[in-house]
Amino acid sequence: MLSWVALIVVLMIAGSFFASQQRARGVAQGDLAALHSRPAYHGAYTALWVAIAGFGVLVLGLLLSNIAIRSALFAAIPDSLGPLSQIERDLIVSDGVAIASGEVASRSDAAREAVGARYGTLMMVRNVGLALLTLGAAAFAYMRSSAQISLPFRARNRTEKIVQVLLMVSAAIAILTTIGIVASLLGQTLAFFSDIPITKFLFGTLWSPLSGVHSGSMDPDKVGAIPLFAGTLLITFIAMLVAVPVGLFAAIFLSDFASQRARSIIKPMLEILAGIPTVVYGFFAAITVAPFLRDTGAAVGLTISSESALAAGIVMGIMIIPFISSLSDDVINAVPQSLRDGSYGLGATKAETIRKVILPAALPGIVSAVLLGVSRAIGETMIVVMAAGQGANLTANPFEAVTTVTVQIVALITGDTEAATAAGPAFTLGFTLFCVTLIFNVIALRLVRKYQESYD
Amino acid sequence: MTESNPPLPRAKFQCRGVNVHYATTHAIKDNDIDIYDKSVTSFIGPSGCGKSTFLRCLNRMNDTIEICRVTGDIRLDDVDIYGSDIDPVQLRARVGMVFQKPNPFPKSIFDNVAYGPRIHGLAENRADLDAMVESSLRSAGLWDEVKDRLSSSGTGLSGGQQQRLCIARAIATQPEVLLMDEPCSALDPIATEIVEELISSLGETYCVVIVTHSMQQANRISERTAFFHLGELVEYETTHNIFNTPKDDRTIGYVSGRFG
Repeated sequence: MLSWVALIVVLMIAGSFFASQQRARGVAQGDLAALHSRPAYHGAYTALWVAIAGFGVLVLGLLLSNIAIRSALFAAIPDSLGPLSQIERDLIVSDGVAIASGEVASRSDAAREAVGARYGTLMMVRNVGLALLTLGAAAFAYMRSSAQISLPFRARNRTEKIVQVLLMVSAAIAILTTIGIVASLLGQTLAFFSDIPITKFLFGTLWSPLSGVHSGSMDPDKVGAIPLFAGTLLITFIAMLVAVPVGLFAAIFLSDFASQRARSIIKPMLEILAGIPTVVYGFFAAITVAPFLRDTGAAVGLTISSESALAAGIVMGIMIIPFISSLSDDVINAVPQSLRDGSYGLGATKAETIRKVILPAALPGIVSAVLLGVSRAIGETMIVVMAAGQGANLTANPFEAVTTVTVQIVALITGDTEAATAAGPAFTLGFTLFCVTLIFNVIALRLVRKYQESYD
Repeated sequence: MTESNPPLPRAKFQCRGVNVHYATTHAIKDNDIDIYDKSVTSFIGPSGCGKSTFLRCLNRMNDTIEICRVTGDIRLDDVDIYGSDIDPVQLRARVGMVFQKPNPFPKSIFDNVAYGPRIHGLAENRADLDAMVESSLRSAGLWDEVKDRLSSSGTGLSGGQQQRLCIARAIATQPEVLLMDEPCSALDPIATEIVEELISSLGETYCVVIVTHSMQQANRISERTAFFHLGELVEYETTHNIFNTPKDDRTIGYVSGRFG
């Protein structure tokens, strides 16, 4: 029913646009120059108010009424059932809703029937009321704003003002979401640290947070995240060892050696590499690369475990190549041709020109490309989940299985431990990851700015 | 055309039957020209007449353009510079080039000038390199302005200073020939005057070839002037003759300002 209301509001928006436009023309009496704003602006002004009033009331009404109905349903659970846990209450309410909307409930009894009946009436009242309110608000907005149409009315300025506010609201939504996420991470992290000393988490070398959970509480000695940090660093390091040289050399080849034709083929191909889902890289690492490394290692007398930091790192490096090559190629291409000409004109070879003129000039961009690659490597999950292993070994040996921060978050959240218990360490790890990448990005930006100062 | 002139220094460049094609465009049409040592030669002509393209043939800069094809015979000191045994990189060390837009490298002033000597290994040691940088900057008339800030960035200089830095950079490679492609077109009148004086004085020691849009400039600084039109070398004479007694109708029209 409310979707019909939304449709009517859309029609009202369109209708009010044309009606107000027409009305402005009428007011002008043929002399359009006498109007301060062109008729379309009068139309847009009215239409914007109708949209804001209609959809504003609809969305706000939905949000508030859903909250109100939910608490009313909980209140409708008969007291005769005695004290119930939150989960049982949730179940009764969701069964009641299912009964009322004709779906299959897990169980049917008097209490659930009562909740269902209550839900039915409440929804009925809500829908009719909200529909009337919405249409009323939209109609009111139309009447009010179309009554304002006159020759000197500054519809254009006001329309622009409204649009400006809408743009600001959009920006605010993005910022508020970020703040909300950070705040919830921070809250959970602080709650976690109220149980576990922060030093144990940051400097402990044993990670097995859920091993003591069955006996009641977490053992502070088993939530040391150092093995995870070490594993993340090790894999990131291996990945960059693969991605930076290959990506950078590919970029240099593309920008300064490849013919136009080769470039037009190779560059899109590299970008396809960036489009491969990381889960594909993940099973490629686990099924192809890791066994290959293990067998090769065995052949030369090295013990490489079948889940190793090396396999995950190499595949992750391959995944990151296109990011580095594509971005570096862009910045190398952005180095003006005049600098190349200047260098060639002095009798420099291509290699000298690239090494001494182009790369230094492109360095800020290359550094930021590499840093982008690093932050992708740190945050990458699927490849390490499949190929790096789960065991929190503290080792610098790339041939052994290690685990990363992201892998452990996955393990905690998808595991069968109760969500409330697992959330603590998971959120804390997430917050740590966030802090590290944030610090990293800030340093990167500073670095880039410093380079730019000396090269401009 | 040249036999009627007073005794000349020997011809540094001898060009015969030079043609340049860009993909399907015939940019230079069968031109012959002799360019003399220890003098300034100007190439003038309307935009798109091929004067810059011809200049870029003289140090094989056109090699860096994929679609460009040069044919004909260009000899530097009687050696065919398009011969199979010629390395264009070595050629460009002998034939330096200064561009229209000042293009200092994003490096310090010192490193800009030292670029050529370093890549060609001209300096024995640091003191040697210092001396080379200083003498190049002095030749370019820039030394007094920058001697206290050799380590600051070359891109921080004014336009005129940047162009003189680029000339100093070209001189530091110890070339025999200096090619200049409209070196003053991005400069203000005062900077232009300074650079013009510099070019005139360089003409005493080097073979200088300059492409210019300004006929006054050609008149002021060059001994000989070549007039190009639509890829053709129309007239090549002493500068005095080109501007006072031009023979070809097209030259007459151009130097008197009727077209171009």
